[in-house]
Amino acid sequence: MSPNQQVRSPLVRSARVRWTVRAIGIVAVLSTAGTVWLGLWVTPPDQVQGDLVRLVYIHPGVAWVALYLAFGLAAASSLLYLWPRTRSLTWDRLAAAAVEVGVVFNVCTLISGSIWGKPTWGVWWAWDARLTSTAVLLVLFLGYMALRRVPAEPEVRARRSAFLALFAAVDIPIVHFSVLWWKTLHQGATVLNPDLSPTIHGSMAWTLLLGFVALTLVFVWMLLVRYRIGVLEDWLGRGELDVALRDRQAEGGAPDQAGDGRDAAVAGAPVPEGAR
Amino acid sequence: MRYVIAGYAIVLTLLFLYAVQLVWRQRRLTRAAERLVASPARSDPMTEGR
Repeated sequence: MSPNQQVRSPLVRSARVRWTVRAIGIVAVLSTAGTVWLGLWVTPPDQVQGDLVRLVYIHPGVAWVALYLAFGLAAASSLLYLWPRTRSLTWDRLAAAAVEVGVVFNVCTLISGSIWGKPTWGVWWAWDARLTSTAVLLVLFLGYMALRRVPAEPEVRARRSAFLALFAAVDIPIVHFSVLWWKTLHQGATVLNPDLSPTIHGSMAWTLLLGFVALTLVFVWMLLVRYRIGVLEDWLGRGELDVALRDRQAEGGAPDQAGDGRDAAVAGAPVPEGAR
Repeated sequence: MRYVIAGYAIVLTLLFLYAVQLVWRQRRLTRAAERLVASPARSDPMTEGR
């Protein structure tokens, strides 16, 4: 973005955008309620798993959102940020939003899987390839969120966050193929298997599909709201700096020309060691 | 069945709490932006050069 380019206030938002976000939220809530109703009351118990199969209507859905949608989107956005021709802080904000939402869904994946595992395997947790690689993914993206909190210029923060997101994304195919590459407790893919022939049918299949759609809509709504939070945070950061500098100038103090960091302290920026 | 109920309850509660937190953060930041726009120190509230 050129220095003279004008940035529109984030307070200005068209009614169409507001209503689209609301509509996605409403449809997400309704489809999630439908999944819960079908999953808990309508579908029959499984011949082998009994009622525990009902957890399958949400567990793969939250895993799909976390692993493929959220972290996949974060990796793609990070790549677009690092690519010189498409470099824009918009991609950085999108990646940050996708990672935060993805971490929530990743936690849901591990919790729902653990609750399914206890009565099925007899343990809450096993150091199984699928479980362990999913937990590693969570730790990597928690690290991403921690890295973003380290004070730095927006471009520096965006660049190093993008590199970390791409590094963490290497784990996504490992999670996906772990059930094929190693002997694991975790069952193989039900829908996205190598033959692409789902091994689930009837009302169970439709409920599973609705669960995927519902949780995808929940993700899209959360992503849109979280992205707007990022825009507001960046805009406020610049706006508060602007007000602080104007206040300082109004008090008679010239902006920091000598580079000794004193005026930087007014704006909340870090002060060099030698200037203290 | 109690494991199933617990699974649904925990996952849906987590998602609901995160959604509420997102809405609360967005409202707080929007109010802060509105206050900043109304601030007399800011000469051109709607546009800004980078």
